[in-house]
Amino acid sequence: MGDMFSNLSLGFSVALSLKNLALCFTGCFVGTLIGVLPGVGPIATIAMLLPITFGLDPVGALIMLAGIYYGAQYGGSTTAILVNIPGEATSVVTTLDGHQMAKQGRAGVALGTAAIGSFIAGCAATLLIAALGAPLTKLALLFGPAEYFALMVMGLAFAVVLARGSVLKALAMIMVGLLLSTVGTDLETGQERLTFGFQPLADGIDFAVLAMGMFGFAEVLRNLESPETRDVVKGTIGRLLPGKEELRQMMPPILRGTAVGSILGILPGNGAVLGPFASYTMEKKLAKDPSRFGRGAIEGVAGPEAANNAGAQTAFIPLLTLGIPPNAVMALMVGAMTIHGIIPGPQVMTKNPDLFWGMIASMWIGNLMLLIINLPLVGLWVKLLKVPYRLMYPAILIFCCIGIYSINNQPMDVAFTALFGLFGYLLIKLGFEPAPLLLGFVLGKLMEEKLRQALIISRGSFMTFVERPISAGLLVVAVIVLVIAVLPAMSKKRDEVFTE
Amino acid sequence: MSQMSDGGGGLRIRSPQDMGAGIFMIVLGVAALILGSNLSMGTLRSIGPGMLPKSLAVICMAIGLLLCVNSLRFGGPALESWSWKGILLVLGGACLFGLVIRGFQIGPISVPSLGLVAAGPLVVLVSGMAADDRKVRQLFIFAAVMTIGCALLFKYALGLPIPLAPWLLGI
Repeated sequence: MGDMFSNLSLGFSVALSLKNLALCFTGCFVGTLIGVLPGVGPIATIAMLLPITFGLDPVGALIMLAGIYYGAQYGGSTTAILVNIPGEATSVVTTLDGHQMAKQGRAGVALGTAAIGSFIAGCAATLLIAALGAPLTKLALLFGPAEYFALMVMGLAFAVVLARGSVLKALAMIMVGLLLSTVGTDLETGQERLTFGFQPLADGIDFAVLAMGMFGFAEVLRNLESPETRDVVKGTIGRLLPGKEELRQMMPPILRGTAVGSILGILPGNGAVLGPFASYTMEKKLAKDPSRFGRGAIEGVAGPEAANNAGAQTAFIPLLTLGIPPNAVMALMVGAMTIHGIIPGPQVMTKNPDLFWGMIASMWIGNLMLLIINLPLVGLWVKLLKVPYRLMYPAILIFCCIGIYSINNQPMDVAFTALFGLFGYLLIKLGFEPAPLLLGFVLGKLMEEKLRQALIISRGSFMTFVERPISAGLLVVAVIVLVIAVLPAMSKKRDEVFTE
Repeated sequence: MSQMSDGGGGLRIRSPQDMGAGIFMIVLGVAALILGSNLSMGTLRSIGPGMLPKSLAVICMAIGLLLCVNSLRFGGPALESWSWKGILLVLGGACLFGLVIRGFQIGPISVPSLGLVAAGPLVVLVSGMAADDRKVRQLFIFAAVMTIGCALLFKYALGLPIPLAPWLLGI
């Protein structure tokens, strides 16, 4: 316990430096700014803003990226409440009651509730990360290649099950992601693989190129097709701060949501998406009058928003301690860290304690900043929401183009990104949801490395994965999860959850 | 192609989208197998460079096959049409950006490095034409504003080495 506080104080000494505070603030601000735009989810936001962190030192860059991430998350909720367009899966639930509240002239209270709920959840999640960071890192050091491989298999199994749409198609996306990750020079033999003999591909497919193509460009193409129906709340926003009665009403849901969201977020699969759904269902079941839900119940905003933010933060735990990203957004963070020369994993905490704890401390500061900057700036967000898409997407494109070009100062990369945009568009047209692909792509290289190591150690016997208890346990969980998901009864329920 | 016919209860494609997805996965798997045909599999004891790509390719093909079979059994959405205008203008605009920012030379055609001053408006204008509700005058003004904004942000505030207009300003 004492350790945790000395670590946290080291973290705060890093995060509270004037420069890092400014970076955290800028990150939160621009993250919200872009995240608020309808049709731009957190993945696209982070991919687009990645280049503005290039010139910074790793600590500053990561603090800023984390800020961008929270900002994008929070921006998504704002859009959900004001426009009824969820920026991503996790804010779907917020549209149910949040937008109703807004229609009743209580938009301000809904936004305030979301902000307060997120802040409380953020505080709890930060403490949880600080408490679990050290022990989990020690656990990670006990993991051999076989366990790592099994853990990643389990993570991917969860990602398949928790993805939207067909299980088979999600599995297909993971496999395509893994396959794409093998493109490039083989690390052990130096042989070129699947490169068409094309020189720029020898280093493999650039992560940022893939992400911006599939989530920036392809998303623009998708949005251009569906005519916009943006139902921005007219009328007044109303007061922002909830009254005493409302505070009393929202506190229990916030605390319950925080607990549910934190636990689900730690799962090394995309557990965080389940948080808001679970919290909403729970609040509805616990409520004295469930019929209020869907008609502007404050509990229906407070609980899911807290769960959303808690999950968004605890999702950092598997990334920071084990080096395994649990979802597509965290996969993007891995890509960003690698660009700055940091390989996420247990060694980060021991080798760069100032980075590790500085980032954790900045998470709390980021949450506080969101609370402070968002409420007074609601007017600005509302104005942004009125920017028509015909101007929004050219702006997104020029940003992406400059960003991709500046990664390697390589004009060719822009053309590659366009190619991946086309690829992403094709996938969307075929009914695939591309997010799991990104996860598979990021995990691919690490998985191959661990698989090879494990098999060298075991002298070519696959039994090693079953004989070692931890790895066997993880694989069993993976199989169970997949089997349950394909069972007809469960897949029906799963559909209900995602359509609700 | 007899499967294509609308033969009532018999074998027919009930979900064209899934059939397309299945064919896509199979094509991808076959392509990976062909491209990786020269890579050695190695043994389990020391895995060669071809082991993973080839196994993944086979898995992709298996999933593709399953998707195809399922598309015959269960109903599903039709294939959507493509909006070529969007693809051409949006992706084309991005490619133009890549071509002119530092210049290029392909065979007899060569373009000098035009920098952000040309590439910026180009990508905004070309891609902006893809919107159904485009307003050309507004777009021109927007292109100028965005280019200036981006130049200030990326070149000066963030210090990234982007050529602005080497032919005009020398930077």
